[in-house]
Amino acid sequence: MNEHITNDELVEAIKAGLELTDPVPESALDAAKAAFTWRTIDAELAELVYDSAESGLVGVRGEAARQVTFRSPGVEIEVMVVDERARRIVGQLVPPQQATVELHTTQGVREQGTDSLGRFGFEGIAPGPVKLSVQTADGGTVVTEWTII
Amino acid sequence: MSEPTVATLLQAASEGDQAAWNALVERYARLVWSVVRGFRLDDAAAHDVFQTVWLRLVEHVDRIREPERLPGWLSMTAKNECIRVLKRQKRQIPSDFEYDVADPTARDFADPLIDLESIEVAMDAFEQLSPEHQQLMRLLCADPPLDYETIASIIDRPIGSIGPTRARCIAKLRAIIGEES
Repeated sequence: MNEHITNDELVEAIKAGLELTDPVPESALDAAKAAFTWRTIDAELAELVYDSAESGLVGVRGEAARQVTFRSPGVEIEVMVVDERARRIVGQLVPPQQATVELHTTQGVREQGTDSLGRFGFEGIAPGPVKLSVQTADGGTVVTEWTII
Repeated sequence: MSEPTVATLLQAASEGDQAAWNALVERYARLVWSVVRGFRLDDAAAHDVFQTVWLRLVEHVDRIREPERLPGWLSMTAKNECIRVLKRQKRQIPSDFEYDVADPTARDFADPLIDLESIEVAMDAFEQLSPEHQQLMRLLCADPPLDYETIASIIDRPIGSIGPTRARCIAKLRAIIGEES
């Protein structure tokens, strides 16, 4: 490389180099396009409002299970990752209510009825992002944001 | 015919148009990947975060009020997910950028034609930069480009530090290249 190359040319060379050596993998591109098939219509979105992993509490107390809370105007969904290896979660609807809960992963959907107190649980969850979809007793649907567990 | 605007694509996607969605993915995949790679996640985690960003956008596709902010929204979503994964993995998050006085380097005119040999030399030098400087260079090379405000948010640094740090990165690259030639 000659010394007359400008700074912007140097940055351009790195940009070109990154595109050559570290392209977006085809499989990732395909997954991103396929994400569109998970579009849900007419569902209320429950946003992630708390994640103990984010607050760093899990790191401080190594044994503590990760807790995640999703909130929509009508219902809160509290999830605890009780076993990261077995990929097991337990959850609770607040206010407590009987409902049907679907667990979405990019591999498929599993469905479960909660108990009368709004508790549910899944294990052996496929790796990667997950989403919960709750059909409440009044007929509404609430979906959580996709979250990596 | 000009390319459809982001607003047009978002609108079509919110109405169920898969082709419009694919066009959004094609347009911004590189940008999202640049952000994710800057945080040095392993391949599996990088893949998960990348996919999560797009799954999040699917949910928000009809909620994005200001389409021109989409690159920033994608970048910040990617950043937040990367940090969440890193914290779970209990790893250090890159944070210690070096500060330097402003470099008087003037903006140069870029020649779009870069030969392969220059790329090889530049990448060899890039690999020798600190992880923090590599992250900044990746963000500065994002396509479509990210503004300094978004870059500053991604690396949690003041906006005024980006220009000087860029200059310092370039000076280091030049020093490395100079030593080896």
